[in-house]
Amino acid sequence: MIRSSAVGLAGGAFLALLASAAPAFTQAAPQRAMRETMAIGDEPGRVSTEEVVIDEGPFARQMVFFRSGEAPGTVVIHTSERFLYVVQGNNRALRYGIGVGREGFTWSGLVKVSRKAEWPDWTPPPEMIQRQPYLPRFMAGGKGNPMGARALYLGSTVYRVHGTNQPETIGHAVSSGCFRLANGDVIDLYDRVAVGAKVIIRHGPAV
Amino acid sequence: MKRMLKAMLVAVLTAGGLSLPGAAAADTLDQVRQRGSLNCGVSQGLIGFSSRAADGAWSGFDVDFCKALAASVLGDASKVSYVPLSAAERFDALRQGRIDILSRNSTWTMQREVEFGLIFAGVNFHDGQGFMVQRGLNVTSALELDGKKVCVQAGTTAQGLVADYFRSNSMTVEVQTLPDAAATLAAFAAKTCDVMTTDNSGLFAERLKLPRPQDAVVLPDIVTKEPLGPVTRADDMRWHNIVKWVTFALINAEELGVTAANIAEARQSAKPEVRRFAGVEGGLGPMLGLQADWALRAVAAVGNYAEVYERNVGSQSRLGIPRGLNQLWSNGGILFAPPIR
Repeated sequence: MIRSSAVGLAGGAFLALLASAAPAFTQAAPQRAMRETMAIGDEPGRVSTEEVVIDEGPFARQMVFFRSGEAPGTVVIHTSERFLYVVQGNNRALRYGIGVGREGFTWSGLVKVSRKAEWPDWTPPPEMIQRQPYLPRFMAGGKGNPMGARALYLGSTVYRVHGTNQPETIGHAVSSGCFRLANGDVIDLYDRVAVGAKVIIRHGPAV
Repeated sequence: MKRMLKAMLVAVLTAGGLSLPGAAAADTLDQVRQRGSLNCGVSQGLIGFSSRAADGAWSGFDVDFCKALAASVLGDASKVSYVPLSAAERFDALRQGRIDILSRNSTWTMQREVEFGLIFAGVNFHDGQGFMVQRGLNVTSALELDGKKVCVQAGTTAQGLVADYFRSNSMTVEVQTLPDAAATLAAFAAKTCDVMTTDNSGLFAERLKLPRPQDAVVLPDIVTKEPLGPVTRADDMRWHNIVKWVTFALINAEELGVTAANIAEARQSAKPEVRRFAGVEGGLGPMLGLQADWALRAVAAVGNYAEVYERNVGSQSRLGIPRGLNQLWSNGGILFAPPIR
């Protein structure tokens, strides 16, 4: 399912991070801009390259039928489906498989891409440090960074669309509310979405 | 004399377009209840839609609809007798009463209703002719296929339609016909042709058989209408309504957010639409001749439409067919169910 030239664990210590579980994390913190809210299971230091794309199976990037009145370039994220669509016009969209927030971290709304960054830095917010004191206070962008190869910042929220050093999590609910793509896919997306583009986040209704 | 009057009364009522509930030759709901199981006509084996495991258990998109109906009517999704049917015998089997319902990837067409005396209960899968291309072509639309070599199985409707499609779009393609599905796929795998065409669901199934499925891309274009759905006899409207509204219930459940996992919450919901769906309000179930929670029973058994789709033919399955046309009307597709109220 995942094509990768160099995916591996940088150290066994990070397996311990995977195994730990954590209580729910407040999701509404829109003013804490430019902060990452990655969840448990992150593996800082694990290396994933920019060549990694999902190229097989349902979560592979592909053009699909998608009826929409939104302008081409608009991003529509269906969290319950684990897909991100870039509207192309002519009733089609380019669809990417994504990893989404764990239960309790799902959200919906309308935002705009406020900023884009290549190999973004990672600054876990205080709530996260409190829960996982062993996390780094700051991690410079690069191949071992859980933020992956690219990031699209969503309005003034703490959430963003970013890459990952864990491409096998695509299609699952694992993050704290961010949307993650395999590095090769987020690089592809990065060039298709402009700063200021509308991002619609949809989640199935609650009963 | 009395008998004659009765006969005249029936004639008058029938001529007036009225039909008495239960007056049909056979009351399917009563029969299903007496029998304690639903006779459901399915295909003899079609990946994602209906297939039988080594232990005899049936699964698939069409099979799940049988289960949902049995859960709604009998309160038990396992009370289904599956009747595998060939394409040639399926409609006769339904007319002759061998099955209560046909849930077998059958296209809703005018002829099948008016000539065979059958009624389609709705559309639960919008299929249609599509195109699979070699990834190396870097093509994203069927309109970019001018000059390409297209492989199609001889004697299928796809053969005639592919010529029509390209001619009407002022494109010239080289069509190569092959004797059967296996030969068509082999020609595509050997890159003898750039493109192969058949129904969209079939393309995803064929793609899985390629040595490297990731080297082939199914285009989003669907150029014909093949609306698939469950079918009933036309002489039993009470039963037809049940089948129809169970079909719509699964779609409405997705729209309302009712899933197999939140049945208990749905019963407690404060939302009027969910309360009607759950049978807490409205009394619609008894009007159908079913329990108040008929719709919830169906969802509890198989999940809502999205759950049924993704598990059998979508992102949780090997087929991985994008929702596409089968996405809800409000989410980019054309899937639409009238409201339960």
